Amino acid sequence: MNEILEKLFTCIEFGKINTASPYPPQMRGQEGAMELTKQALDAGIAPSEIMDSALIPAMTRVGQKFTEGQVFVPQMLLSAKAMNAALTHIKPFFQSGEVQRKGTFIIGTVFGDLHDIGKNLVCMMVEGAGWEVVDLGVDASAEKFLAALEEHPGAHVGLSALLTTTMTNMKTIIDKVHETHPEVKFIVGGAPVSAEFAKEIGADGYAADPQDDIKILESFLNA
Amino acid sequence: MHDRVERAFHTYRFPYGEVLPSLDELARYLHMEEDTEHPAYCYMKERLAGLTSSDLEAVGGYAIGTIEGLDLQGGTLTVEGTTFEVGAQVCGYLKEATEAALFLCTAGALFSDEAHALNAQGEFLEAYIIDAIGSLTVERAMDKIHKALEVEQAARGMKITNRYSPGYCNWPLKDQRPLFAFVGENPTGIALSESCLMHPIKSVSGVIGIGTTARRRAYGCVICQNKTCIYRRLVQKG
Ligand code: B12
Repeated sequence: MNEILEKLFTCIEFGKINTASPYPPQMRGQEGAMELTKQALDAGIAPSEIMDSALIPAMTRVGQKFTEGQVFVPQMLLSAKAMNAALTHIKPFFQSGEVQRKGTFIIGTVFGDLHDIGKNLVCMMVEGAGWEVVDLGVDASAEKFLAALEEHPGAHVGLSALLTTTMTNMKTIIDKVHETHPEVKFIVGGAPVSAEFAKEIGADGYAADPQDDIKILESFLNA
Repeated sequence: MHDRVERAFHTYRFPYGEVLPSLDELARYLHMEEDTEHPAYCYMKERLAGLTSSDLEAVGGYAIGTIEGLDLQGGTLTVEGTTFEVGAQVCGYLKEATEAALFLCTAGALFSDEAHALNAQGEFLEAYIIDAIGSLTVERAMDKIHKALEVEQAARGMKITNRYSPGYCNWPLKDQRPLFAFVGENPTGIALSESCLMHPIKSVSGVIGIGTTARRRAYGCVICQNKTCIYRRLVQKG
């Protein structure tokens, strides 16, 4: 791999945001994700190549480490911040169409529920995997999802619930959306949710963590 | 319908400085080692220092009533005319209680408001930390109230149980309604949503049993059934 991209990968993996950031100590004074992304672009590396060869694989690595329990939430969030710094240089190419996102993922915590930490992590990791993410926040109604789907036709939808009393609201949303948009695919997640429950309520997938979710989203692409 | 009983709500107020978690406690909760160079650790330190001198307060308290019925089979608890469907498990924990303290406590809206704003700016790490400080602050405030109740009751020869909340141990969340009705007028300012969640978000509610032979027991990860919880994964690993 190109040397700049290799360094960029390391910056994302360990959360080195820019030259000024003192962390990690062994990289102090060195360039961070912000500067290296700019350098890569200046060196003529295509933005899609930067995404596919450095940014996305680095976030995948972080997601795997989280799944395996090697890193906890703060480390993962630091990587997400480094990723965000890199993306500030890449975002203009999304807008111009030079870099294609894999698709759009609309996500929200279902109405009645306000737990959002898990959902927020999923947002960051899915964005880091090359998707456009539309976050509807907490306490999101079927109407809110329908409005977002009008704006983003072809999007897939993620539902989060952390309470046994609100996980049943997932079905209400899926049914309502399917009345007018039968083609929309749903992935559900959150601590009390299971694969069996997902099947029961007509969801297309259940993901235990962000890495799982990304795998299911990619499987939709190849379907 | 019962006539509305005017029940005394024992109010406690704690300036943030008295109930914020310590840096160590917060680090442990977030599974961070002491690392004075890590941005998360630096932010934790900085934010706690800032909040310590805040004049904001956590507010909470309880209303006590006599237990009139405890149906272990049916899983119901009746306190002065109000019946709670606490479930068999919580009933079991309250077996020795003759009175019940129904409690509420909030750390206020600051934490969630700030976390929301930070998330919107892409400051995910900072948002997560503020959110965690809020969760620990409301628990710490409730720990103090729990302790105060214990001291107050000891003076009349009574002991107390752990605290149990709607949403835990199969006690349905919808019992927040009778709980709030029982507690009545109170200065916490906590509002209940249609789905029985509390605003501000950093709030807790529940019951503590009181009796001459009531007791506290082991609690936490040891008895939890949640198989996919990320905290469990860490406990098992560690
Ligand atoms: C933190 C927390 C809170 C915080 C919320 C902070 C916030 N901003 O979200 C606070 C302290 C405010 C809170 C409050 C309450 N909580 Co709470 N809370 C938790 C706790 C301890 C951790 C949840 C969490 O953040 N985990 C960390 C994240 C990273 O994990 P996660 O959410 O599971 O998400 C992961 C996966 O599930 C998945 N995922 C999540 N969403 C999605 C979505 C999609 C599409 C996909 C693909 C994947 C996915 O990916 C994530 C990353 O791996 C859980 C217990 C637990 N261990 O789960 C209880 C828990 C969820 N809470 C519970 C309850 C009952 C409450 C209260 C109602 C209690 C009360 N009566 O006071 C209150 C409500 C307060 C109110 N305002 O009304 C219960 C729910 C019981 C139930 N099953 O119904 C739990 C399970 C605790 C318990 N009993 O053991 N809570």
